[in-house]
Amino acid sequence: MKTAHELRPGNVIMLDGSPWVVQKTETTRSGRNAAIVKMKLKNVLQDSTTETTFKGEDKMEDIILERLACTYSYYADPMYVFMDAEYNQYDVEADNLGDAGAYIVDGMEEECSVTFYEGKAISVELPVTIVREVTYTEPAARGDTSGKVMKPATITGGGTVTVAEFVKIGDKIEIDTRTNEFKKRV
Amino acid sequence: MASETPTISSFHSPHWDIFCVVVDNYGDIGVTWRLAKQLAAEYQIDINLWVDDLNSFSHILPELDKSVAQQRFHDVNIFKWNQPLDISYDPGALLIEAFACELPSQVISLIGALHQKHKAKESIIKPPVWLNLEYLSAEDWVDGCHGLPSMQASGIKKHFYFPGFTSKSGGLICESTLFKLRDEWQSNTNNKVALFKKLGLTGITAKDFVISVFSYETTALTALCKHWIQCNSITNKTSPVSKRIHALFPMGKSLSSILDLLNVPLQAIKPGQQFCLGNLVIHILPMTDQTQFDRLLWSCDFNIVRGEDSFLRAQWAAKPFIWHIYPQEDDYHLVKLQAFVNIYSLKLENDVANTWSKTNFAFNQQDSNVVEHWQQLISAQSTLEQHAKHWPIDAKKDADLASRLVEFVKTS
Repeated sequence: MKTAHELRPGNVIMLDGSPWVVQKTETTRSGRNAAIVKMKLKNVLQDSTTETTFKGEDKMEDIILERLACTYSYYADPMYVFMDAEYNQYDVEADNLGDAGAYIVDGMEEECSVTFYEGKAISVELPVTIVREVTYTEPAARGDTSGKVMKPATITGGGTVTVAEFVKIGDKIEIDTRTNEFKKRV
Repeated sequence: MASETPTISSFHSPHWDIFCVVVDNYGDIGVTWRLAKQLAAEYQIDINLWVDDLNSFSHILPELDKSVAQQRFHDVNIFKWNQPLDISYDPGALLIEAFACELPSQVISLIGALHQKHKAKESIIKPPVWLNLEYLSAEDWVDGCHGLPSMQASGIKKHFYFPGFTSKSGGLICESTLFKLRDEWQSNTNNKVALFKKLGLTGITAKDFVISVFSYETTALTALCKHWIQCNSITNKTSPVSKRIHALFPMGKSLSSILDLLNVPLQAIKPGQQFCLGNLVIHILPMTDQTQFDRLLWSCDFNIVRGEDSFLRAQWAAKPFIWHIYPQEDDYHLVKLQAFVNIYSLKLENDVANTWSKTNFAFNQQDSNVVEHWQQLISAQSTLEQHAKHWPIDAKKDADLASRLVEFVKTS
């Protein structure tokens, strides 16, 4: 079992007898520090999607499906193609990658985990940390060296991450893919 | 009437159930009690309000008998909610878990079973619409989450209902006649003087400046009281007006912030007591019901309020106020405060909006600069009052929470 707060894009949960792939999660705080998790889920059997909300501590059955370590190979609209160590190729629908899609870039070397349901590749989980180059961000404001001020930055692949004020264009940064949070400059 | 195993009735009663766990004294029960009363009075809905703590509830409903498990006031059935549930739960048309409280396991399994039976055979009654009534917030994300279903493991859907300030949210609790009653009350100064007298607060004249204080503990309040003691005038934009300041404190957390000024132990303080300190008179308020509390807010020149229920009632009072928001981890409450400040200030002059924002943040951050901001704020009292009069109409928009809720249930 996993709490809603622990679920990440790529996880598969069982609800009302059907497996659902988590495509997107967004956690916010309600009153008294309670978390609210908004999710986009895709029903693996019916191919339908739904937007839903859970309490952060709601427990759900996290299904352990067959998983294979793969690397990203290429994009053939609308499928992302991944390859295992034995050069077998697996197609995953772009929709199923959800937020993780923003981190998939040509030439990426990080190992991903492709999840299968009844022989079909249905989702991809990224490594917990991933390194990407900042392609655009505003210059730092003068005088602020505290490192606490944050600003948006565009990274390779087109995604946006909130980074520390000192980060510059061309810097490589480490990102936590579970939370989309900037961790450090590398 | 006790029943160990609740059973599914053969008929579908149209009543609504609201479950409330009292966490702090008057916030959760304050909101659910107002909602229950309004639904019963304005929509003639048979409401069952299940409350786990009748003792706290009795402070805002003095007629309540703490020893009785089932009773009825204002056309609302009030049930004492014991764990495990010892009063039979009969599924109605709506089931509300207030503020994400954990429903009794018997209730969850009963509606889960009802859902499965209805799924198998449509002629079997549907389970109630299940809502989690959430906390009020002005944050942007509320619109995107309001009304969304939350599929439970059993397949039954629970909906998240978010009160809020926009048309896409669940709206704000506001009785249909509230603004009319408030305007009538405020049109006659004798009403406020009579109310203060009724509450045992003596020596307040119609010309005095009266501030109600219902906050959590904060050194900002201590700093403000020290300032009020020395302050011999309330300044408006044109001239200083000599006014005595009366601060009305209930027994509780606000009072803890100023005990050193009173030089009296908390146990020795009684409602009705007053302390004259320079230009400031501190009055100790008796506990009042919600109707009297509303009138109190209508009658003061400035209100300091906390939490959710009194925060909203201060807005409906059409008087300037400071909101002491419930503190959260990592100061997340300041994000919520900023979201509210942003929408409340939209139609305020920039300099007044800025000062109002700074005063609220200073109060919430225990910042002694609150005095400086307060002085600027109070010089704009007339502008703030004008804004406070218009704000409730902007905030309520076209519909209040109860009417939106009734519509939501109809279409769910």
